Amino acid sequence: MDLTRIWLILLGLTGATTALAFVPGPVAAAALLAVALFKARAILGGFLHLERGSGWWAAFVVPLTIWLVLIWGLHVI
Amino acid sequence: MRLQDLPGEPIMWVLIASELLVFAAGITAMAGVRLTDPAGFAAAQAQLHGWMAALNTAILVTSGFFAARAERACRRGDRRGARVGLALAALGGAGFLAVKAVEYAGDLRAGLGMESHPFFTFYYLLTGFHAAHVLFGIGVLALVAIRLRTEEVQAGAAFWHMVDLVWVLLLPPVYLLG
Repeated sequence: MDLTRIWLILLGLTGATTALAFVPGPVAAAALLAVALFKARAILGGFLHLERGSGWWAAFVVPLTIWLVLIWGLHVI
Repeated sequence: MRLQDLPGEPIMWVLIASELLVFAAGITAMAGVRLTDPAGFAAAQAQLHGWMAALNTAILVTSGFFAARAERACRRGDRRGARVGLALAALGGAGFLAVKAVEYAGDLRAGLGMESHPFFTFYYLLTGFHAAHVLFGIGVLALVAIRLRTEEVQAGAAFWHMVDLVWVLLLPPVYLLG
């Protein structure tokens, strides 16, 4: 993917994070963590060249997703 | 799923995975301790300057963009482009540390020390450890810029992206999830 496009996506997601930070509640918290996951995926795939759909992609993204769900769960308890 | 399918040096991926695990453990511990005093944690977190963290995120992803450009330039033999990219990436790292220093100074002036509240213990440990990685990463970028060997530049850029990756995962639990 084009590096400039990845960079703009990351800046856009950072803007989304900033906007969501002002919204209270568990749904907004889930959205904040989902945005963090999208940023992480953009960095892993776009900058670190981890091939999307490969076994290694899943080896990083699946545990990361589970961990973010755990953090959300601990937050809303 | 073979080791050679990983882009770059496999040892770099071992480092990336282990760093992610260390920070994940720290953040999870913070989220666990928060359960003992959610209101206190929220009140402590509300004293942070979230906009500075957002600014630092923009700085760090931009810096990562320049590191990625440097890596690409090096691969196509553009030594000047690679050096410029690495220098701009390192400059972004220095900018990140400058904002962090201003943030820490403001926190300390407001009396928010490491022992003010358990939240601040985690805050200083996690963000301080990350800042140490940024400082080390600047040194790595400078070192790989000297010889400009493709594999070394790729490894240096990978370390830098790992620092970036950790920050985007650190941001919501430490600064935003009140």
